[in-house]
Amino acid sequence: MTDYQNDLRKIERNIAEIGAPSDSHQATRRAYGLYQRAALTGRLDEFAAAEAAIAEAFNQIGPWPDLCLVKANLDMKFHRLAGAKRALEMAPGLAESFSGRVIWADIHLQEGRYMRAKQMCEALVAEDRTWDNLARLAYWEWKFGEVEDAERIYTEAEEEITAKEMRGYAWVQLQKGLLDLRRGRYEEAAAHYRRASDAYSGYWLIDEHLAELYGSQGKYDEAVATYERVLATIARPELQQAFGELYAAMGEKDEAEKWFDKALAGFLEASENGGVHYYHHLVDFFSDVREDGSEAVAWACRDFELRRNFGTEGALAWALYRNGQIAEADAMMDCALGSGVRDGHLFAKAAAIKAAAGHSQESQELSRRAFAMNPHHEGFHVHRS
Amino acid sequence: MADHNDPNAVNSIFSDVDVSAADLYDLFGFPSADIADGEKAVIALTMAAVPETGVLDTDMLYRVQMVAAPRSSWSEAEEQTLDTLLKYFGSVKDKYLSIYKASEIRVTVDDHGRAQLAFLRFPGGDFSKTVGTNKVETVMTPDGHAIKVYIGGREEAFFNDLPGFFRSINYAPQFYHVPQSMMEARELPIPKTLIELEGNSLFNFDPATPQWGKTMKKDLPPGPWTWTGDRFKKDENGNYRFVYDGEDARAGKNCNAIIFEIPLAFITRDSGQNRIVSSWGESWVLKAAHKVETIPDEPFWHQHPWALLDGSQSDEQLNRYKLVDTDGLPFADAALSERENNRQLGANNFWLAPHFINRLAHLGWGFGPSITALGLQTSFDHDNSPVSVHKTYSNPIAAFPRVRKTLFQKLNMPDDSWNPKGMNIPLRRPFEIFVPNVCATDMDTTGSWPFGRRPEDQVATRFLSLFLDMEAELNGRKYHVETLGDPELWKNAPIVPKTPPNPLKNDKEFLDHFPYLAEPW
Repeated sequence: MTDYQNDLRKIERNIAEIGAPSDSHQATRRAYGLYQRAALTGRLDEFAAAEAAIAEAFNQIGPWPDLCLVKANLDMKFHRLAGAKRALEMAPGLAESFSGRVIWADIHLQEGRYMRAKQMCEALVAEDRTWDNLARLAYWEWKFGEVEDAERIYTEAEEEITAKEMRGYAWVQLQKGLLDLRRGRYEEAAAHYRRASDAYSGYWLIDEHLAELYGSQGKYDEAVATYERVLATIARPELQQAFGELYAAMGEKDEAEKWFDKALAGFLEASENGGVHYYHHLVDFFSDVREDGSEAVAWACRDFELRRNFGTEGALAWALYRNGQIAEADAMMDCALGSGVRDGHLFAKAAAIKAAAGHSQESQELSRRAFAMNPHHEGFHVHRS
Repeated sequence: MADHNDPNAVNSIFSDVDVSAADLYDLFGFPSADIADGEKAVIALTMAAVPETGVLDTDMLYRVQMVAAPRSSWSEAEEQTLDTLLKYFGSVKDKYLSIYKASEIRVTVDDHGRAQLAFLRFPGGDFSKTVGTNKVETVMTPDGHAIKVYIGGREEAFFNDLPGFFRSINYAPQFYHVPQSMMEARELPIPKTLIELEGNSLFNFDPATPQWGKTMKKDLPPGPWTWTGDRFKKDENGNYRFVYDGEDARAGKNCNAIIFEIPLAFITRDSGQNRIVSSWGESWVLKAAHKVETIPDEPFWHQHPWALLDGSQSDEQLNRYKLVDTDGLPFADAALSERENNRQLGANNFWLAPHFINRLAHLGWGFGPSITALGLQTSFDHDNSPVSVHKTYSNPIAAFPRVRKTLFQKLNMPDDSWNPKGMNIPLRRPFEIFVPNVCATDMDTTGSWPFGRRPEDQVATRFLSLFLDMEAELNGRKYHVETLGDPELWKNAPIVPKTPPNPLKNDKEFLDHFPYLAEPW
């Protein structure tokens, strides 16, 4: 049995043992157990089950603080920032608690208050040096600071993880691998992914990262085989889109289209059901797969209204560019770049927009920066948020 | 758990956190009665029986540290002031950090149930051995000493009314489902007390739910958590209600244990002078990064225990682990350090000395008036308060006058049996006991607490005796560390239930020979 299967079995056993919850503690544990299971499997139907359990528990026990915390975490996972804020306000003192402030740090980042987010992360780490908050700080450094600092802080996070939290360790290895991958350091990324796999076997998330790496390296057979394995476990539309993009990179347009169609159907179904978490994927999809500027702008505006940050600004700028609205794209891209973010893919898009807007010097400089960050930035990669 | 000094991260009474093998229960230390081949110190470290009784977690490393030193005590001539007290703590710190060099035994257990022992910094030099688990083994040292070793499952040696203790300090997680996000809701801010407060709906015994705080918990009511009464509760017969019922909360349970019987001459070259063997234990958990390294094969040091012979290698070994829990004195952390993770300092709890004074005064405002109400004399100065008071201190200057007597009084022993050689050994004082956080075993005594700790010592009741005035008398005898354990006292006191606060003995007989702790259930 793999580590993943073992963990899943434990979680399912815990859920089964609780059965019909009789008090707030049990109701929260059940909701949390379902959330844990969904977070592990990544399955959207299991997230829906967790959400239903949370709602049921609220009806049964009211705004128990830990239940509100589970709800806030779930909302954050699905980009429902307003929902997360509401959940934190439901129980007195929760927003100011350590766990509440962790979520607030994420909210600040998502809403573009970057320094505030960093200060909160630093304060949380000073208060209690947990690996997850160190990882938050490392992510901030990755995006806004020096990548070497990010790497160092991820390593510090590793030091705080014990042998009883191997999934957490594997996750940090994936982040370190991504740091390398985004700089074109394939061998180093592969080493981190191997380490993740050694630490925590059987986890689809590690395979998914490996598939991206294989695709970036041009190891298409391995990439296809790995994606097939992942998609047999979990049929998330963003993974289907990535698989389609891999086929596109391989020049297999028919296969690519097959997966693109599946992905689009999944994105739209989630959105029609009220989900907002795929807005940014739809922007990418219509910008880069279908190259339908009008649709891309529509979805980008929706995401932008929910959370204004360098990611949604950059995505909207790119959508506007696809839609031929060059001046607006240029202005919006300036907003994204004004955040101070350092991202090779964003620089490359910004370079294209600046060139279209006639700012050739800026465009050249941005191209140079994109290349300096990752010589392979134009190659196959997965859209992550 | 039993030693009340478990970091929140591994404590099972907090919601959603499993019992962990890192959860240390107790550390016992006493001289062995077997002196056939010279004096020997018995040191036993107990921990949660995780993953199961007799099976130790292979991700854990346990350290048992010890140092032997001459007996020293407070001079009667010295002034009992805060300044002299802090200077005393400073001198103890210097001894432990600069002069004494602790020896240690490190223990790891592999997947095959073999325990790897590394003996470090003993006078006879470093060496390592592998022994089996769940059986008594004898390890021969390079200089010819025989050390008895037992590593495995035993019956849980702690016997205590744990819910009663937690009720006395308003420790919410024992009685309530406390949300993880409400860290402040641990000790609720109402007076601590040994007898129930009138109208205390938060912690008073509820006849409708007699198992409350034992096998069931309630949902924590929304705050603010306050008590607005002004007296202790009395029933229709004029009796107070004890927060204890004397039941053994650990009855029928097991633990895992690491037990040594070590020749004193192995611990120190000068066993004639160095009569106090101070010991403490630590649990360390393997870091994830190093577990990955060991996954393909057995851990490096399991296969190559001789690698530990080099001091630098041993530091390298420790760098692979993370400290989780420490254990020296019973109640040192729970009663005095509030069980906080960042206070897991083991012997190095020197910086907690001012906090120790503040905390003792805080407890005194709760326990002192309770003792007075029962017609007993207390060492705590509570200005004749008729009822317990919730009062906290941030400055030892304000707290010290209240606890001067509590800190400096000599703790009388019930009889002379603790001093079988009839030697001139001064009685110990609370401030000498709690800093540093070690089990200081006096090799010229039986090792009964506070001259060590024997399994049969009822340390929870003895801890409460700190708040008794040891100059007062009861039935012609001076109060002593077992006064509150005397059933006669409670029979005649205006209180129900009429029981000593804690069980008088363990639920299973201890052994009179190594490994002393009883066979597991």
